[in-house]
Amino acid sequence: MATERERDRRPDPEALLALAGKEGRGKLKVFLGAAPGVGKTYAMLAGARRLKAEGADIVIGLVETHGRAETAALLEGQEVLPRKKIPYRGRELEEFDIDAALKRRPALIVVDELAHSNAPDSRHPKRWQDIEELLGAGLDVWTALNIQHLESLAEVVSRVTGVAVRETVPDGVLQRADDVVLVDITPDELIQRLQEGKVYLPETARRATQNFFSARNLTALRELALRSTADRVDDQMVDYLRQNAIEGPWDTSDHLLVCIGADFQAEMVVRAGGRLATRLNASWVVAHVAPEGHEESDPAKVRFVDEAFRLGERLGAETVRLAASDMVAEILRHARRENFTQIVVSRARGRFWKHWLGRDFAYEMVRQSRDIPVLVIAAPEAPAPKPRRISLKLRASERRRLGAGLAGAILAVALAVGAGEALNAWLRLPNLSMVFLLAVLVCAERFGLWSAIAASFLSFLAYNFFFIEPLYTLTIAKPEELLSLLVFLVVAVLTGSLAGRVHDQSEFVRRRAENSELLYAFSRKLSAAPTLDDALWAAAAHLQRVQGGHILFLLPEGDELRLAAAWPPMDELSPGEMSAARWAFSKRVAAGWRTDTLPNLAFQFRPLVTPRGVAGVCGFQPKAPDEPVSPEDERALTAMLEQTAIAIDRSLLVGEAVRSAALEENEKLRTTLLSSLSHDLKTPLSSITGAVTTLRQLGDRMPAEDRRDLLASIEEEAARLNRFVGNLLDMSRLESGAVKVRADFLDPAEIVRGAVERCRKAFPGMRIETSLARDLPFIRGDASLLEQALFNLLDNAHKYGGETGATVHARQEGADVVISVTDEGPGVKPADLERIFEKFYRGGRTDGRKAGTGLGLSICKGLVEAMGGKIEAQSPALRRRGTRLLVRFPAAQLDREKGADKEKKA
Amino acid sequence: MKTRVLVVDDEAPIQRFLRPALLASGYEALSAETGAQALRLIATAAPDVIVLDLGLPDMDGKDVLVEARKFSKSPIIVLSARDQETEKIAALDLGADDYVEKPFAIGEFLARLRAALRHAAPDHAPALRYEAEGVVADLDKRRVTRDGQSLKLTPKEFDLLTVLVRHAGRVVTHRQILAAVWGPAHADDTQYLRVFVGQLRAKIEPNPDVPRLILTEPGIGYRLWTPEAA
Repeated sequence: MATERERDRRPDPEALLALAGKEGRGKLKVFLGAAPGVGKTYAMLAGARRLKAEGADIVIGLVETHGRAETAALLEGQEVLPRKKIPYRGRELEEFDIDAALKRRPALIVVDELAHSNAPDSRHPKRWQDIEELLGAGLDVWTALNIQHLESLAEVVSRVTGVAVRETVPDGVLQRADDVVLVDITPDELIQRLQEGKVYLPETARRATQNFFSARNLTALRELALRSTADRVDDQMVDYLRQNAIEGPWDTSDHLLVCIGADFQAEMVVRAGGRLATRLNASWVVAHVAPEGHEESDPAKVRFVDEAFRLGERLGAETVRLAASDMVAEILRHARRENFTQIVVSRARGRFWKHWLGRDFAYEMVRQSRDIPVLVIAAPEAPAPKPRRISLKLRASERRRLGAGLAGAILAVALAVGAGEALNAWLRLPNLSMVFLLAVLVCAERFGLWSAIAASFLSFLAYNFFFIEPLYTLTIAKPEELLSLLVFLVVAVLTGSLAGRVHDQSEFVRRRAENSELLYAFSRKLSAAPTLDDALWAAAAHLQRVQGGHILFLLPEGDELRLAAAWPPMDELSPGEMSAARWAFSKRVAAGWRTDTLPNLAFQFRPLVTPRGVAGVCGFQPKAPDEPVSPEDERALTAMLEQTAIAIDRSLLVGEAVRSAALEENEKLRTTLLSSLSHDLKTPLSSITGAVTTLRQLGDRMPAEDRRDLLASIEEEAARLNRFVGNLLDMSRLESGAVKVRADFLDPAEIVRGAVERCRKAFPGMRIETSLARDLPFIRGDASLLEQALFNLLDNAHKYGGETGATVHARQEGADVVISVTDEGPGVKPADLERIFEKFYRGGRTDGRKAGTGLGLSICKGLVEAMGGKIEAQSPALRRRGTRLLVRFPAAQLDREKGADKEKKA
Repeated sequence: MKTRVLVVDDEAPIQRFLRPALLASGYEALSAETGAQALRLIATAAPDVIVLDLGLPDMDGKDVLVEARKFSKSPIIVLSARDQETEKIAALDLGADDYVEKPFAIGEFLARLRAALRHAAPDHAPALRYEAEGVVADLDKRRVTRDGQSLKLTPKEFDLLTVLVRHAGRVVTHRQILAAVWGPAHADDTQYLRVFVGQLRAKIEPNPDVPRLILTEPGIGYRLWTPEAA
């Protein structure tokens, strides 16, 4: 029991986490007032002045003195940031300069008017967003706010005062503030100050706000301000208790589910839910349930839900969309699964028939929820004209579809009339209702629900008009015919709507399938793209077909974002678009069109988030700039962007894998080089050291002949060492491109003789035969490099052919001069013929008993190719033994005669 | 009869200076360039000591070692380059007596040769006494003194010293020491060894920071310095 208590008394980890999240963030102090004129700015500046006197690093970011002398006096001696001038419709607006503030980076910055809306084209539409950015950058901020601007209270305030509040600040900003100072004076005092002209009001707003400053309103606002502050104090108390694990009767396990419909009440329900959540200190979720299989197509309704969701997010709620045929059951299932403690729904008034039919949503909620309390909020009736006006704004495609449905219904009924007349003429059927029912069903099957219902009513009228006595009137003589006609109508509507629903649903399923088909095609295209660039272009082109407008992708490159692909092609973005893209990238949120950041842009930028971070940013232009993205498009867009993000990530990973494979290969090469150097440099070094120490220590006990031989071996081994070092240097020069290749006219025979001579000196025991064709044409190249190349070939022949010797041939073959060196060694396996020119490849055992760096032939190849020649190997060369290495140079244009002439002239 | 040395190395320049050096030092020199040739000579000419390069054209030097050990007890000194640590250790564990790293000075080589020959001599009993730099270890009496002062060694430290003294002048691999002192099950626990070698050095070395008696062969093992090997 004691341990149980112990565990319970440990600090709440979530509270500590929230605290940790605040570290590194600036502190926010809000001066809260009930109304303009209570002295918030004055209090704020007076505080700043005191701190400044104590030597604090304070900057006045922006303060409205409203021409009040005593406030302005407080600004003296303070560092005031110049305002940013923004041209707007011929005027110049002055705004807070957030970039200057971030550049100056004071410890504390004072920015007045938290609820202010920034000029269009500013980075953020609202000042509170500027302040959030300042806080995020680690600056402390002081700001001022009137209680009426608090989002959750805005509605209450406008109800109480009758003045609509346009500029609002999310409650979260105030909730997250580290300090809230209430600046308070009594309403009487404020009214007096107003009458003395001490409260600034713009001329235009004066009359409108006259009513606002009544004693009644001010008392109400003051109460709201006092209560909010008191609530906050309470919150701080709770936070303190939780962080310090002091036992107390706080219960924060409340979890609210606020359900909204796609109607104009949604926002109001969200506000009410938000207020309740704040009061209960509960976490809350805003949920919307759409009927399954019935995609909401009315843009007005879509907008209701979207805006309510956005409001909920501003107020600190999470949002969730559900889809189910039984909405009530789905909400309850969700609530139970996620442990919600309370459900908030609204109740529409006036829809008595729905209530009567048992389809009242709130009523059903209350009836079915046995374990979770349901709070029903009374909501006002919809303003009548509004939905109608909106419902006329159908999308073009929908107008077309409805039109086609109606036309289809008319046509079907007309056909039914024709068929009825024909049947009547031949058969005189007593009842033709089946013919009309057929028309209804055809409409339902072909055009869906609405067409079927239209066809039902048209049939009803046509049947009456054409086939029921008295004919060609809408009157009915016999009551039994009236009855059968009514029964026909009910049957037609019922079967028609059933069949129509089936049609609509299958239509919906078809669209879904089409969407997933599209997505599948998209992902296939992406995975087929061989490179990152191809993938991005494919993605952009595909998205463009679906979304319209421009599509572009930006990828990070160093610290900047680079336009990696755009369709239709685009070269660059405006600075505003660039900064929105950067915002989306660094903050991982959407920016630009219809977002909180730079909403006036034509583009919206979405971060491409992968498990490893943000892979890049996608920018798109909306189909219709005035409407939000439809849920259907949104889903498709999100899915495609996810696919793209994964594709980018994958190709980056592949790039990394290739790089690391290359690194590994490099590493192998280095190891080979090291062991090669170790062996091949060490062998001559060992002989030299050994010989020298032997001579010094034992020289006097040795015959003179042995001494001479030791000295000779030292000389030879030093020469061998020199060749190794020379080879290494050649290789590194060749690789770095430091070799300057001359293109002189060369006599091949002369070069061959030089190389052979040098080789005889280096390997005195080696037998070398030469066979040079007469009158070889000149070739172009560099004499010393060619000699080196030939020497390397001979060196190689010596290594692998041993003392058995080598043969050097030089002859003309067509337009080429071919020089070959053939050894009589064991030869090279056919599979290795190409590899012998690779760096560090060495014949025989891998630990390299054959002395050599494995560089000779690759240097040779490098040199020959640098001079425009070719090199190849043949093995076996003669009698199943030996290797022949051939170098081939094109004969120079100048023939021998002319060359000789030239020489004579020179 | 002269002591017979077989040098197995395919590098002609190495043979070229080792041969006159060995002759001048009073040895009889045999040479082999391949493993097969070496094994034939070991079997027929019975060299007293074998100098074996690990890289041979026809077979792995280690295989030569294994084959040779099947019928010859002559000490084997391995020649190798510095970067072939694992090769060296493997060779020592397979029965080589010592190794010399290329390039080497002839004096060092001859000293190793002498140390190996001394241990292999038929009248050679394992050393029971060690004396160098004022340190005297008498394994029989289990007594160790430095400058006449008796040192207190723990049993494990004494066992460690015993292994080193028995191989004085020759390298002993980590594995060999561990197996001898802690038992075969601990043959890979080199960290024990480091600790005990440190303790032993602190007791017997004049300046433990610059060890002169217990020398480290990096990556291979230890070697107890002897005046005659220098």
